[in-house]
Amino acid sequence: MPKRRDIIAIVLIVLPWTLLISVWHQSNITSVLAAQKGNTISSRSDSRALKESLSLQNRDSVHVVQTEYVYIRPPPWSETLPTLHIITPTYSRPVQKAELTRLANTLLHVTNLHWIVVEDSQRRTALVSRFLQETGLNFTHLNVETPLNYKTRGESRNTRVPRGTLQRNLALRWLRETYPVNFSKPGVVYFADDDNTYSLQLFEEMRSTKKVSVWPVAFVGGLRYESPKINALGKVYGWKTVFDPHRPFAIDMAGFAVNLSLILTKPQAYFKLRGVKGGYQESSLLKELVTLSELEPKASNCTKVLVWHTRTEKPVLVNEGKKGFTDSTVEI
Amino acid sequence: MAKKYNIMSILLIMLPWLLLISVWQQSNITSVIFSQKVMARKDYVYRRPPPWSKTLPTLHIITPTYSRTVQKADLTRLANTLLHVPNLHWIVVEDSKNRTVLVSRFLQETGLKYTHLNVETPSNFKPKGETTSRKIPRGTLQRNLALQWLRETYPVNFSQPGVVYFADDDNTYSLQLFEEMRYTKKVSVWPVALVGGIRYETPKINALGKVYGFKTKFDPTRPFAIDMAGFAVNLSLILSKPQANFQLQGVKGGYQESSLLKELVTLSELEPKASNCTKVLVWHTRTEKPSLVREGKKGFTDLNVEI
Repeated sequence: MPKRRDIIAIVLIVLPWTLLISVWHQSNITSVLAAQKGNTISSRSDSRALKESLSLQNRDSVHVVQTEYVYIRPPPWSETLPTLHIITPTYSRPVQKAELTRLANTLLHVTNLHWIVVEDSQRRTALVSRFLQETGLNFTHLNVETPLNYKTRGESRNTRVPRGTLQRNLALRWLRETYPVNFSKPGVVYFADDDNTYSLQLFEEMRSTKKVSVWPVAFVGGLRYESPKINALGKVYGWKTVFDPHRPFAIDMAGFAVNLSLILTKPQAYFKLRGVKGGYQESSLLKELVTLSELEPKASNCTKVLVWHTRTEKPVLVNEGKKGFTDSTVEI
Repeated sequence: MAKKYNIMSILLIMLPWLLLISVWQQSNITSVIFSQKVMARKDYVYRRPPPWSKTLPTLHIITPTYSRTVQKADLTRLANTLLHVPNLHWIVVEDSKNRTVLVSRFLQETGLKYTHLNVETPSNFKPKGETTSRKIPRGTLQRNLALQWLRETYPVNFSQPGVVYFADDDNTYSLQLFEEMRYTKKVSVWPVALVGGIRYETPKINALGKVYGFKTKFDPTRPFAIDMAGFAVNLSLILSKPQANFQLQGVKGGYQESSLLKELVTLSELEPKASNCTKVLVWHTRTEKPSLVREGKKGFTDLNVEI
């Protein structure tokens, strides 16, 4: 006949041990869950799911914040960082896949990046479609063909549409059709040609753009670099360039970024198609968006070069001959 | 007897309660017990390069480089590619008398694991009677110095597996290429785009998966009609054959790679990669020389600003 005292004793022993074991079990599970992701190298970012499931808010729950250093490409999406919408016009030529490859290898390091690739073609090509899918990047694939240039009687020479213009404008239109004017998620738009060279730091500089930010660009205008001129108040007052420094915005396509909200709230702002003098394309867009004094200098007040206007040599394919030597089904 | 029993039972009761109380004092156990979950939020901070792995062979990537306007740009985009590759050791060899500040600073800032060397190619000269073959192809001294460094740094029977690859700073490399070369036993080979005046050059592979020739227009009967970017060598082969270097002089155009490879392997020992040499994973791109005509004689831009 068990005495009451014995029962009480047993309960007093069993209860705390049960509590201890269940608490230990709980904390072990969360740390195991946490350790699973993040230490693995995977080519797809699926850590987003884990993050969301653990961020449930509950008044009675204990929140533990752990910092985990992960290599995942592309990097995990962040809820707080503005998205960088990178617009890249591209066209078919022997070095196209090479250019896109090394540009993608750069972009794959950048958090919250949305790559808008616009082909100059009648249809989206298999090469670019397949390529974009395989990168794992967050992308949008568009296309618009630039009509062949011709000079009819009476037309001036300025009827030529600069390369990439139609494609960049299509991307701007896509942004305006996709996002509402009062879109809540912050974003920055940048035009990145597929043959330029970009440092990783550049993308972090442009992320804080409020309206239009600017910085130096190497290898343009026949100089080592072109740069905005910054006064003592940290404002742009001119352009340090030899070629036509009195343009409204004497800056290269790779030298500025625009806040997405500015693009959305000024739907009439596009790159001018025709009648644009050489070097005035950037001005044709920027004058619709900002004034000189509103420009935000980046890259240590425009004293550092973080982007280079490189160009790739056209490869010699003379030994292909008329009939072709290599197998054309092998993609390069 | 009953007393001992009582003491024991008191201890057994006290112990877990004491443990509970001390654990509760360390953290908010009460909320753990009474709430639904412990919410652990992770802040993912992206790190590059990838963490080092104890099991993957190391890729020793040898890049000769020289000062010119586009040097920093080319190194930047190459580094952006290499920063995705696990277990990568970048050996950068400058063609210079001294290691330059530009390259030193650049390498430090990438975060890559690197070794920074330098050796100057003496300016070419043709004394009377000498043939034109005195000219040393660009990059040769630098690549040989890197091979020498490997042999001086690692013992002949070095246990950690490695692969050596020559990556020029203006080529374009896919990330997949590095994984193809990682398991090279002796020398592995694959196609290279934009060389030899054709879309790509490639080894010819027979039904047994062996290399039997080279599909190229330019001098296909070379011992190894392959570009510098088209092969990788197991580190142990480099270490165990210390006499194998790129020949310095008297090398006909296009024979540089052969001058090294003939000391290392025979044709049949070559290991084809990239789906039996049917895929292109590396392009021999070249960067245009930029026009700096508007700098003029005195220079327009600030030379203190590094490009």
